Amino acid sequence: MPIAEQGYTHWGGRFVERRVPWGPITRLGVRMAFKRKFFKLAFALSFMPAVVFAAGIYVSERLEDFQFMFKGRPGSTSFLEVNPLYFKSYFAGDFLLFMLVMMMVLGGAGLIADDLRSNSLQLYFARPIRKRDYLAGKLATAGAFVLLFTLAPGVLFILLKIVFAGSFKILTAYPWIPAAVVLDSLLLATFFSAYTLLISSLSKNRRYAAVLLFLGYLFSDLFFGIFYGIFHNPAFCLLSIKANLQQVAAALFRVPPAFDVPWLYSLLVLAAIVAASAAVLARKTRGVEVIK
Amino acid sequence: MNIELKDLRFSYGPVTALDGVDLTLGEGACGLLGPNGAGKSTLLRILLGFLRPDRGEGRVLGYDIRREPFAIRRIVGYMPEDDCLIPGLDAVTFTAYFGELSGMPRQEAMKRAHDVLFYVGLGEARYRSLETYSAGMKQRLKMAQALVHDPKLLFLDEPTSNLDPQGRIEVLELIKDISSKKDIQVLVSSHILTDIEATCSRVVILNRGKVAAEGDLEALKEVRFRLYEIKTAGGEGSFAEALAARGCRVETTEEGLLKVYLPPEMDRRAIFAEAFRRSVQIRTFVRSRTSLEDLFARTVGVD
Repeated sequence: MPIAEQGYTHWGGRFVERRVPWGPITRLGVRMAFKRKFFKLAFALSFMPAVVFAAGIYVSERLEDFQFMFKGRPGSTSFLEVNPLYFKSYFAGDFLLFMLVMMMVLGGAGLIADDLRSNSLQLYFARPIRKRDYLAGKLATAGAFVLLFTLAPGVLFILLKIVFAGSFKILTAYPWIPAAVVLDSLLLATFFSAYTLLISSLSKNRRYAAVLLFLGYLFSDLFFGIFYGIFHNPAFCLLSIKANLQQVAAALFRVPPAFDVPWLYSLLVLAAIVAASAAVLARKTRGVEVIK
Repeated sequence: MNIELKDLRFSYGPVTALDGVDLTLGEGACGLLGPNGAGKSTLLRILLGFLRPDRGEGRVLGYDIRREPFAIRRIVGYMPEDDCLIPGLDAVTFTAYFGELSGMPRQEAMKRAHDVLFYVGLGEARYRSLETYSAGMKQRLKMAQALVHDPKLLFLDEPTSNLDPQGRIEVLELIKDISSKKDIQVLVSSHILTDIEATCSRVVILNRGKVAAEGDLEALKEVRFRLYEIKTAGGEGSFAEALAARGCRVETTEEGLLKVYLPPEMDRRAIFAEAFRRSVQIRTFVRSRTSLEDLFARTVGVD
């Protein structure tokens, strides 16, 4: 293969100062996620709860058209009442949380692990980007997927309710719902991004990271179940990632929590994981490995 | 000046990697030589701002290495020694990506990626997955990503490592072309002396974290060392000892040839005088062109 098939020409353009210097990192991360086996399947399946809940909103406003579905079951339409509990059921639903974890497993496990394995951090940091830009780009990659399945459907549900009901009753009756949708979406995005990057930065092997991500989520819930089963103490819900997310979601949507434990404790547990992630990432992401 | 360093010091805990490095590098290709652990890679990493020196100051293309690392990185290209290619990408995406991260607009980075990939000889393979690349292609791709944003200064860390002879020749040709015709200054860090000799006009030799020698390659070889190759008929042992006693460094090759390094103050006629005194017949007396290997061995103190 001959060298210099074509001469070298100097570039006459100008460098741009991007408002989001990490934009290219996020774009590439999203693109690479869709190249992964099974990610597309997980992505498609993750839309299922949103579709079902959107359909539920439609049905709730057209109950007379769907009477045949509830014939002989008085009170069976109560779950279709679009209220804070309805939103909380979506945001803290087991299936949605599980699918978010699966998307992180399939699309996010390699975000840092791949760079560590391929030694490409030095290429990143040989460019005019800071460590925080690099991390923001990676966090945004994971966060974008989470927000796509939380914030976007949440806003859509409110809009659908307004359109199908033909009134702003939902907003006047529950004015905190939009804020709760935004806050819970941001909480989920922040937590899952930080948790994913934390695990991803602990290994150079994306498969180990993926397994660890999944087991971390699964076992936290499993341990909670075991201890709760033995001691019947709801405080053990603090061991479970899922239960903590559900406790905080319940508080944000102002519905009774599943466990009689202050939601602030759950928030602190989640914040501690995010803080641990920040500390580990600050240490792990360097242009060059320095052992002193 | 491209690079100016003053009293630079850096240590990895108790191990001092660089100690009081003073350096001024101007135009042209410069080789950074030194045995393993001499501090070559550490120096490059400090110049790029990966590491912060414990002491001293420095400027790269006029920018302060402590205060303006981002300005430096925008106009400097870096080709690392290790494999550092992101799996799952093709060469165009990879190169354009790092162009974008350097601050190039997206479309221009993509166009430029195509251009530099053709330049380094990867034009036809630019859409292939990087996992399928050979060692030589990976080296060229690393070169392409270093060139994509049209740097003014290029840092090449062991550019020919893991290459077969043909691949090595091609990469060296590329470096020569870049440094001599493209108005890009090149700093090549290597421990392969022939690579430096083939591509660089200047050289800096680091040893144990200090600058052991620095300057124009030809001048360094000429001024500091006069090497003579001598073949004698009998009495090589005592003759060599006598020359060594007079301050010469003497090596005996496998063919029985004496390689005599004369100190600057010594006249070559002293060799003949010594031979006459010991009744040693000199059959061959040739002034050898000092190789970089000789210079390196002499400077670093290894054979």
